Amino acid sequence: MSSRRSRSRQSGSSRITDEQISDLVSKLQDLLPEARLRSNDRMPSSRVLQETCDYIRNLHREVDDLSERLSELLATSDMSSAQAAIIRSLLM
Amino acid sequence: MASTSSSAAVVEERESGRKRKRGGATGESEGAEEAQPSKWRTRRVHEIYSSKLLDAIRLVRSGSGSPASAAAGTAAAAAADPQSSRAVREAADRALAVSARGRTHWSRAILASHHRRLQAARRARLREPASPPLRHPTSPPGKGPKAPALARKAKVLGRLVPGCRKLPFPALLAEASDYIAALEMQVRAMTALAEVLSTVSASSSGTSSSPA
Repeated sequence: MSSRRSRSRQSGSSRITDEQISDLVSKLQDLLPEARLRSNDRMPSSRVLQETCDYIRNLHREVDDLSERLSELLATSDMSSAQAAIIRSLLM
Repeated sequence: MASTSSSAAVVEERESGRKRKRGGATGESEGAEEAQPSKWRTRRVHEIYSSKLLDAIRLVRSGSGSPASAAAGTAAAAAADPQSSRAVREAADRALAVSARGRTHWSRAILASHHRRLQAARRARLREPASPPLRHPTSPPGKGPKAPALARKAKVLGRLVPGCRKLPFPALLAEASDYIAALEMQVRAMTALAEVLSTVSASSSGTSSSPA
């Protein structure tokens, strides 16, 4: 306890412990698609970081593909505000 | 779809697990609006984002979206125009950042970079001297990964998440968690919108009046 308090005098964000880091890493692991297959066995942190980077890159690529698809769809349709209202209600 | 129903079951487990952990772990009461990754799974945020997304990309359609498309000088949108595709991507990202309600570094970084671009375009038109870009204040030394391999991967991660290059390791992990959850919601919402638009345009271009 006292060591944590003395560290906080030096810098603002020092109340972080190893336990909190491993907690964050395991939360990250839970978000990865592989976590569902592994029934939450702990992966090494480096593996979690690697998978996280790959997953984010994957998601970026999906968003890019979807953006392209959406821009094509928008180019071919002329959307009136009435149509927009209908589309909005279909999304809800 | 079978995949969504099974993932919905997983989601509920995750959400209840996180809420329980959250309640016990810290004493702070941050209310319902805290920056937790699970908030990206709610129906409400999905609806709010879908609505913002629709508005944002309609603006792209009319050509008044980003300065990039305006500078290109052409309002004619080709079918798979890379300009408009990028404009859609940027509009979707901005709408996502707005939905984050300013509680995360990545969302603020997305909005700040857009703001800077607008300022630069505005100044270029008015021929004013550009102000120096705001530097992010150097973050206090926090706990970092001990192994060099981890540090390398953490650096890569910091470059992937917007605005997180200089964050200390724990903050970076928290940002990445939230960013991933937000991106997943973005994919879900954009997919749904694409489905709706393709259905609507298919039925309107087919027969004259009768809906399916």
